[in-house]
This record gives sequence, structure tokens and C-alpha cells, in this order.
Amino acid sequence: MVKKKMNRRTFLKYSAAFGATTAVAGVPTLLRAQPPEIKIASIQPVTGVIADIGISMRRGNQMAVDDINARGGIKSMGGAKLKLLLADTEAKEEVARTEAERVIKEGAVCLVGPFLSGNAMTIATLCEQRGVPFVMDVAAADDITRKGFKYTFRVFPTTTKFADSMLFYMDKIMKEKNISKIRGVLTNTGDLFGRVQGATFKKAVTDKKFPIELVGHIEYPLGIQDLSAEVSKIKALKPDILFPVARPGDAKLMIRELYKQRVELQGIISPGSPGWYEPEFIRDMKALADYVMDNVPWYNPIGKMYKEVNAAFSKKYPGKYIDTNSGYAYLGVLVIADALERAKSTKADDIVAALQKTYFKQDLMVGLAVAFDSRGDNINADTAMIQIINQSLKVVLPEKAAEAKYIHPMPKQLWERGV
Amino acid sequence: MNLNLILQLALSGFLLGGVYSLIALGLSLIFGVMRVINFAHGEMMVWGMYVAYTILLWTGVDPFFSFLVSAIILFILGYLLQRSVVNRILDFPEAMQVLPLVGMAMVFENSARLIWGPDYISPQSKFALSSISLGPLTIDTPRLMAFSIAILITVLVLVFLKKTDMGKSIRAAADNRLGAFLVGTDVNKVYAVCFGIGTACVGSAGGLLVPIMPLSPYIGAPFTLISFIIVILGGMGSLTGAMVGGFIIGVAESIGPEVITNIFHGLGVDLEFPHTMKQVVSFFILIVILILRPQGLFGGKKR
Amino acid sequence: MRKLYLFLLLAFLILLVLPKVMSSYALGIFIMIFFYAYLGQSWNILTGYTGVISLGHSLYVGIGAYMTYLLTLTLGLPPWIGMWIGGICAGAVGLVIGFFGFRFGLKGVYFVLLTISFAEIGRLIVLHLKVFGSFQGLFITPHFSAVNFQFKDNVPYYYIALGYVVFSLIVVRLLERSKIGRYMVALREEEEAAESLGVDVFKYKMIAIFISAFMTSLAGAFYTNYLYYLHPSTMMSMAFSIEIILRPIIGGMGTVLGPVIGSFLITPLAEISRTYFAKAGYEGLHLVIYGFLLVAVVLFFPRGVISYMKKALSPLLSGEKSH
Repeated sequence: MVKKKMNRRTFLKYSAAFGATTAVAGVPTLLRAQPPEIKIASIQPVTGVIADIGISMRRGNQMAVDDINARGGIKSMGGAKLKLLLADTEAKEEVARTEAERVIKEGAVCLVGPFLSGNAMTIATLCEQRGVPFVMDVAAADDITRKGFKYTFRVFPTTTKFADSMLFYMDKIMKEKNISKIRGVLTNTGDLFGRVQGATFKKAVTDKKFPIELVGHIEYPLGIQDLSAEVSKIKALKPDILFPVARPGDAKLMIRELYKQRVELQGIISPGSPGWYEPEFIRDMKALADYVMDNVPWYNPIGKMYKEVNAAFSKKYPGKYIDTNSGYAYLGVLVIADALERAKSTKADDIVAALQKTYFKQDLMVGLAVAFDSRGDNINADTAMIQIINQSLKVVLPEKAAEAKYIHPMPKQLWERGV
Repeated sequence: MNLNLILQLALSGFLLGGVYSLIALGLSLIFGVMRVINFAHGEMMVWGMYVAYTILLWTGVDPFFSFLVSAIILFILGYLLQRSVVNRILDFPEAMQVLPLVGMAMVFENSARLIWGPDYISPQSKFALSSISLGPLTIDTPRLMAFSIAILITVLVLVFLKKTDMGKSIRAAADNRLGAFLVGTDVNKVYAVCFGIGTACVGSAGGLLVPIMPLSPYIGAPFTLISFIIVILGGMGSLTGAMVGGFIIGVAESIGPEVITNIFHGLGVDLEFPHTMKQVVSFFILIVILILRPQGLFGGKKR
Repeated sequence: MRKLYLFLLLAFLILLVLPKVMSSYALGIFIMIFFYAYLGQSWNILTGYTGVISLGHSLYVGIGAYMTYLLTLTLGLPPWIGMWIGGICAGAVGLVIGFFGFRFGLKGVYFVLLTISFAEIGRLIVLHLKVFGSFQGLFITPHFSAVNFQFKDNVPYYYIALGYVVFSLIVVRLLERSKIGRYMVALREEEEAAESLGVDVFKYKMIAIFISAFMTSLAGAFYTNYLYYLHPSTMMSMAFSIEIILRPIIGGMGTVLGPVIGSFLITPLAEISRTYFAKAGYEGLHLVIYGFLLVAVVLFFPRGVISYMKKALSPLLSGEKSH
């Protein structure tokens, strides 16, 4: 009777455990040999150039584990608790590899992480070599899942998905506002993410003959400390809309330079990048942050799960909230827990089999239930268009998740906002 | 060719060059006297930035005043660092001297991470957003102020070295360590003060940069490299050289990509010199200088 | 002398059987020890033996890695062959840098700057080349087979890395005993004296930089096929160059065993500080500790750990004069 009850119950309030009803023969033996705890590992770049994001993701991973344990752990395995091993890639591939080896040796049955696609590639290869499942929470480069890895999954959207959604939303905005053509300048940071994101957007615009004319494409190195030259160039190109792919540091630099050099714009719409949604951006930029739009994988503001998780997250880390990175970090762990629940085993092949069958309903992030295709990509991952309105972040598109109507063009230029 | 754009680029490069000069001045002073390259230079600048930021956060005093506190704290740090580490490695082989300071760079970088957190911070100081329009050109007020103060500090340091007893001792020790020792100068103290002044320069430069650049613990390393280039360009140990070198590098990096692209187009080559390659301009200048005039533009002494 | 060789043989035999008893993780650490010992040794040939300091050796690693990859991509050459061609290319670049440096008599910090400049320009160029993945970096598709230099298990990597180290030890030992090696040391100690005795300083420095660059670049093939991801901002950066020179400096420059000893000391230190001091909420602490350790090691062993070890081991290795 016990097992029937367990199968009917959802292991988390929000998840539906699909496909678990059939394969229950092994449960009694497993129940007898209860594992005291199941180790999974969070491997993130928590020191080095991208440490701010790495930390935020480690927090997301950790909070998900704590929440799952508070709800009774992995119920199909007798309420086994999850234990999160922590690993730091220092944003270097060689360290990523050694650290991944370490956590595997310490008994991690599944790895989750990292923000950086380069680190992810090294870890994915290692996991393939060792036969350990690996769930990438955020690492957007398409290439990683094109290598035929069996053990690697990704809950985050690919860069191609970003570009498609971006054009979908732009099309909507242009139709509603009767805009027939846009003169745009694209900027991106010169690292993997920025470069890919910029190039994919540009390619999508050209391939689809979308009515955005990109009159300029400016790249600058990651960690740049002076954008005055780049912004002077933008000003000279006289665009309607700026499409910036940025990182936390240069996003602020960009806004300030645009202000100081009085660059007139109808809008600042990022094809998808960090920099524009972190609490520090709004805190430091104040009214200058307003009307910036960003096409990002985002939390679902009307989701029940989101509201609970976000409340807990903000309570634990004052001034912080769930965003793309911490949200997906949280989701990545949930997906693993769901797979463990259905696998009823900590064997790698069982977990992989369960991950492949994942259909994890969630309303934490925008997008439907998590489900993986044959490559291991989450087919239902999607982005949302968010906008900063009155110094608070609002989802403006898609309409089914929208909290507010988008504002375009910007009613006031940066320097007219009395800052 | 868009002349306005080039002028604008040159102007902002020039203003930033003033701050570069101050950073390089510190490095040059330390090298000129102790023959040691401070590989922790950029990281110490970041400490200067964080000190000014903390003061802004706690008291609301603008970085354009609180850079003085950055300078004092960095002076103390530099003094202690010289006494505890640098003084012991002065007679080591050159390659050996690299390591302890690289180690200290890691210490500074990661302790800043521990103290102030990993996030990028861009505090809203009073002048952060103001600018002056000059026809088609915009002059960035914080840049202009940072530039002016940096030049002022540079001049003060030069006067200090020329006029005060301590300054004279520093110059004497730079010329002849043994000689200075023989005439009864406390060489160790002179060295420590000199190192402290060098780090105070970079610390105050850090404070001045707070309204201009976002700060994070990990932005230091490129500044070490750029001040390196400036110092070689101007001439090792030459303080005027550090100043002029700063302007040259500031302007060259700012207008370089645009000018080279225009040259390409003028030659009928459809190539763009991307902004991400602007450091190539500096390194190219550096190689040329190394080959043609290794003592630098203002270095009189033999290398 | 014989005792030292016996000791080394014993150490080698122990290292040969280690994979039988060690976990994959421990092997991974040993692989890193060997990898950096090899790189340090290659750098040591130039800086340790001729006294010319290079801080741009990451350039050669990059050339090796990218040339090997390019030859596999275009001609289908397995890395085992491509790496030697990459080595020659790196050697050629080394000669160019050497020509500028030695012909114009750049010494000390000036030569350091020259090597940094070339390395940085190289990094920025690779960063903009489409064929090398540009800013994305290269994602190497794994095809696990011995021909491809790609293995599922750490054991083959371990033996290959060990092979690299043994190879470098033999090369350096042979070099040290050869006429070339003696001239190199002579011009390190007393360049003017060597020159006045008719030693062609320029020639021997050029030979040193060629061998050093050639050997360094061979490690690129290993890096590529061990980590499966190449990005110039990590493996062609100045930070990586510094990583390369740490071990030989700490172990002892200009000695055959110094880089190996340095690597056996430093790599585990980094690992231990990361494992024990990287706690949630204190991210970065382990690097502070590691930084202090680096400073301490140099202050306590200013002539390299090897010279102190020699003193300590001299009763054991009696009869041993110098190494």
C-alpha cells in the first residue's frame, strides 16, 4: 500500500511524477537499503571574472537542495536527503575538470552547473568519460549538446532559441506600434556568450529578412572599463534602437556613457544578456535603468512556485532576488531531484533514463514543463521580454505571463529624467 | 572619415590617459628606485577604488575628495608590503622577484572579493553623470576632474621628490644604493616610503576612477599590464615619461581602431579593425619602442 | 651520481604502478603535476639555462594546440603527428621573438615585456580568427580512441603526461651535458666573458628559445585533448604564462629536477587550499591562502626548493657533486 500511495503523491508540491508508475518492482528492496543521503554537486565559477554570477547560481543550487530536503527529500528512496557538494571552477577549464573529478570521487551521483560554456564543455566531456549525469543549468552555447553526449542535459534555452524569441517579440512590438523599419546597432561583449548571442541575433535578422537594419556591430572585450569610444561610435551611427549584449559591469558603463554623450534612442532592447536585470543595475542606475528591455529566460512572475521561492531567496539573501541565473540554478536541481524520484536509484544509467523521460511541470521560469530532446536540450525552455518600469522589473511579453504593458519608444531620453 | 568621432575619441582617450599616467607613475617610481616590478599594482588600485567606494557608502563623501583616504590607506599597505616582503626579495634574481608579487596580487584580489563581495558596483556619485557640451564634442566631467586631480598629484609627487629631504634621499637611493647607505641614509626606510608613495599614487588613481568605472574585485590585472606598457614607453624610472606615456597610450587605444579601419578603407581593403583588438595598438607601439629606443622616450640612462 | 639515478629510477617505477592503486581524481592531480612540470621544464630551458626571462610562453602552448587542431581539421592528421609540426611553427615564432630580442640586446624586464607583447598580440589575433572559433572558443568533439589522443579513462592520460616529463628530463639532461648547454650556462653567468671568449651569444640564445618554444608547444596537444575546449583568453593569457613559470622558480631554475619538484609542491598546494578552504560564503579565501603560500615559499626558499633538498639529502646521495 505504501508504494501506491507514494506513486500517487507528487514528490514536490509542483511536480508531476510521470512514467514512474510502471517501474516499481524494485522499490521494496531499495527501501530496505536506504541511502542515508544522495550527493549531488554544484560546480560553478564562484571565483574569477564571473564570480558574481557564479555565486548567485551556487545560492540557487543550494536553496533548491535545502527546500527539497525540507519537504522530505527523495520520497521514492525512503526520504533520502540530498547533500550538495560544492565545487569552484575558478572560471578555468583545468580547474573545472579537477573539481569535477573530485566531486565524482566524493560520491556525487549527478553534477549541476556551470554558468560558463567553456567550463561546461570540459565537465560534459569528463562526465561522458566517467559516466556521470550532468545537468547544465545555465550554459547557452549550442555546440555543447551537438557533441552527441549521452550524460549531458541542459535546462537553459540555446542561443538559437534566444534569437527566435527575440524576433517574435520584436515583430509584435513593431506591428502594434506601426513601425515598419528599425535602424539598429548591435553591441556585444567579446566572450563566448556575448559573441554567440550577438552573432546568432544578427544571423536571425539577416536570414529571416527581418526589417531591422543593423547599421553597426560593435564588440568590446569582457571586463572592459571604458566604453566612451564605443559609445561615440554608436552616436555617430544614429540608431533608433540599441541592441546590447552585455555583462553586469559594462551594462552600467554603457548607460552612463549614453547619458553623458547624449545619444538619442527610441529604445534599448537587449537580445538577451545579463547586466540589465540584476538588483545592482537598478540600485545604481535609478531612473536611468527605466525602459530598458531584455529578452531573457526569466522567472514566471505570476507563478505560485516562483513567488514562494523568490520570497525565501530574498529573505535569505537581502537585496537579491531570483533572476535568470539563480532561477535556472534552482530549476536544475529540481529536475535532478525529479529524475532521482522516478529512477528510485542512484545508478547513473537509471538517472539518465529518468532524465530522458523528464516532463517536469513548473511555473518558476517562463516556459512550459521541462522536457529534453534527444540531444539533451530542454525543448520547452523559452525567454520572456522584460522591461524596467519605474525602477522595477516587469515581464511585458509573452502576454500570458505579462505583468505590465511594454513602453516603447522611451518617453524620455536618459538625460531628461532628472537624475 | 568622421572627424568629429575621431576628435571625441581622442579627447576621452586623452582624459583617461591622465589617470593612466598616475597609475604608471606609481609603478615607475617603484621600479626606478627598487628595480622591482609591482605585479600587484592593478589589484592595489582596486583596493583604492573600494576604499573610496566604502567612504561614499558610509559618509556620502564624494570619491573626488575621499581619494585622499585611499591614498593614505594604500600608502600604509604599500609601506607594510615593502617591509614584509619586497625588502627581502630585492637581491633575488629577477625571475624570482616576480613570484611573491604575483602571490600578493592574488591575495589583494581575493581578499577584496571576501570583504566587498563579487558584484559589480557602480555607485552613483555626485558628478558621475554630468558632462559639458563643446560644440559637437562632449566632455565628461568626472573624467575631466579625474584628469585634473591626477595631473595635480603627479606634479606634487615630482615636487616632493625634488624639494624635500625624503624625496632627495629617494632619488639618491635610486641612483646609488650603496652610496646612500654610506652617507648614513636609512635605506630600508627610504625604500619603504618610496614603495608607499608608489602605491599611494595608484590608490588615489583608484579613488578617482570610482565615478568613471564600475568596480569588481577582478578588474585589476589589465591595469598592471597597461601601466607596464606606459612605463616602458616613457622610460623606466622616468616620471615625466610615465605622464607622457599615459597620454600616448590613452589616445592611441581610443582612436587606434577607428583610424586603422579608415586606413584600410582608404587602401581599398574591406577590413574592419575591431575595437576588441585595440590593445594590439598599444602592444605594437611597445614592440616598436623596445626595438628602436628601449630606454623609452624619456629614459636617459642606459638600459 | 649513481645513487641519484637509482633514486630516480625507483621514483619512476613507483609512478609507473601508481595508477593501479589510485582513484581517477588523484590521477587527475598527478596529470596536472606532470603537465605543469613539463611546461615548467620547457620554460626552464630558456630562462633557467640562459637567464633570458620569458613571460609569454602561453603563446607557444596556444600555437601548439591550435596548429594541431588545424592539421586534424584540414588534413585529417592525427594529433600525434600534428603536434610536431605545431612545435616547429612555435619554434619559428620563438625565433622571430628571439631575433628582435637578442639582436637588439633586450635584457631583463625589457625582454619580459617583449614576450608579453607578442603573446598578447597572438592571443588577440587568435581571438578574432573564425577558424579557431573566435570568441566562442573551440569545442573539441570527443572521439575516444588512441589515434585521436582522446581517451575515456585517466590512466592513458597519466602515462602520456608522465612520458612528457621523462622526455623533457632526458632532453634537458642531454642538453646540459652537451656543448650547447655549457655555452648556454656560460652566457647566463657571464655574458660578456663568454662573448669575449668567442661564444656566439646570439646563436646559442636562438637555439635555446627554439628548443624551449618547440617543447612548450607540444603540451598544447595534450591540453586540447584533455580539456576539450580551447579559448585564447584562458590558455594564451598572461595568467597562464605566470602559471607556467611558478613551478620551476619555486623548484629551482636552471636545474634538471627543479621544475618537477616545484610542480610536486605547488600543484597539490593549490588543490589542498581549494579543497579545504573553499567554503560557501568565503569564496576566494583559498586563493588568498594560496597567494600567501606562494610568497612564503619564495621567502623561505629563495634559491629554489631543490637546493635545500640537496642539502638535506646529501648524506643519502653522497658522492653526488652537482646536478
